[in-house]
Amino acid sequence: MDADLGRIPASPSPRQSQKEATRQRVIAAARELFDTHGYQGTTIREIARHAGIAVGSVFTTFASKGEILSEVMQARLDPLYAELDRVVPHLRGPTVDRLRTMFAIHFEFEHRHVRLFLSHISAAYDWTLAPAARPYGRNARFQELIRETLQKGIAQGDVRPDVDFQEVVDLIMAAYGWTYRLVITDDADAKALIAVMDRQIGLIAEGFAPRN
Amino acid sequence: MKHISPTQVAADLPARAPTRRALAKQQTRLKVLAAARRLFSEQGYEGATIRDIAAAAGMSTGAVFANFTDKSDLFREIMTDDMEALVAAMRDAAVRGRGVEDAVLKVFMAGYTFYKSRLQLARAAFSVSWDKDGGPNLRGMTSSQAFQDVFAEQLTAAVERGELSKEAEVKLRSQMLFDTYLSNFPQAIFEGWSLDALQARARDQIRILLAGARRG
Repeated sequence: MDADLGRIPASPSPRQSQKEATRQRVIAAARELFDTHGYQGTTIREIARHAGIAVGSVFTTFASKGEILSEVMQARLDPLYAELDRVVPHLRGPTVDRLRTMFAIHFEFEHRHVRLFLSHISAAYDWTLAPAARPYGRNARFQELIRETLQKGIAQGDVRPDVDFQEVVDLIMAAYGWTYRLVITDDADAKALIAVMDRQIGLIAEGFAPRN
Repeated sequence: MKHISPTQVAADLPARAPTRRALAKQQTRLKVLAAARRLFSEQGYEGATIRDIAAAAGMSTGAVFANFTDKSDLFREIMTDDMEALVAAMRDAAVRGRGVEDAVLKVFMAGYTFYKSRLQLARAAFSVSWDKDGGPNLRGMTSSQAFQDVFAEQLTAAVERGELSKEAEVKLRSQMLFDTYLSNFPQAIFEGWSLDALQARARDQIRILLAGARRG
């Protein structure tokens, strides 16, 4: 989905701004409900009621529940990536530690609304997911950040030059996503998630370190 | 595990033959499970209702509830059957592996092969497992833990053979192997990856995850 779609045009017609207002109300209501009741526990009807609009109006703006969640996550991610864009260029030290810091920022951020994030993962497998929706794990911007971090690692000599970036990115993303399982099974807090992720990144780093 | 057939039920009751009533009840269960399996695969967990499942099985919702407490109970039963069968298939496959990386790869492939014909059911299971309410239901299952055990067994054996170092962090590595195994399912489900493509990818992933534990 185009990142600019959610923005209000420079001089919106009354009709457009009304549509935009509806959209924002749906997203705000949905964010609250997904965070409280999870993805499966939330219905479009409830979102409409919570937003104070008719169910039909929701459907004129969004094709499905999956699409609403996708928009909710997108709106949330903007500040997170602003933060990462600000911090990442200043990170120093071994690649493994730079990666750890990047993920610690993620866990700190997501843990405040962890149920929302779980909804996001659950929805990646949902039947109502629209082709335009962005399922978890396909965030190009984040993957690019990891690639840049690895690239820098090659330059500083702690990443093997012939390593397949996409493979490493996928392994790290798998570890990241599945670490959230600990919220479901152990009710883990951000600190616990970060500790587990640190160990996993360490293990993957052994796999991309230069061979002696 | 296999589906329990009426004859097996009979075998479990050596003292006397099952009553006609017990057999009929078992038949009903099997019919409901088959219908549920089909509907979960076609419509997902959320989309399939008990009412639809009952209709597909040709019985009343009351008859379904006489055998299963609710939809999650039904789903859990289907998943348990599959997981037990799969864990056994994975162990069989691992035996044929040459070296730890190959054995682990064979475990991965046993899973992808098993689910190749039921990817939509896998998709429903992933959706449920990430739900805060449904998740514990699936993840807490002993058969779910059994998957990690299969990976741990391969690594432990490799440590004993001297193929992996004694500091191989078997528990963390088994966990990560299992996670990685699961993480390739979206490619299979949504992008139609072939078994060959999955195998090539899995082989590289396993190599990276085991690299730090290799001796010498």
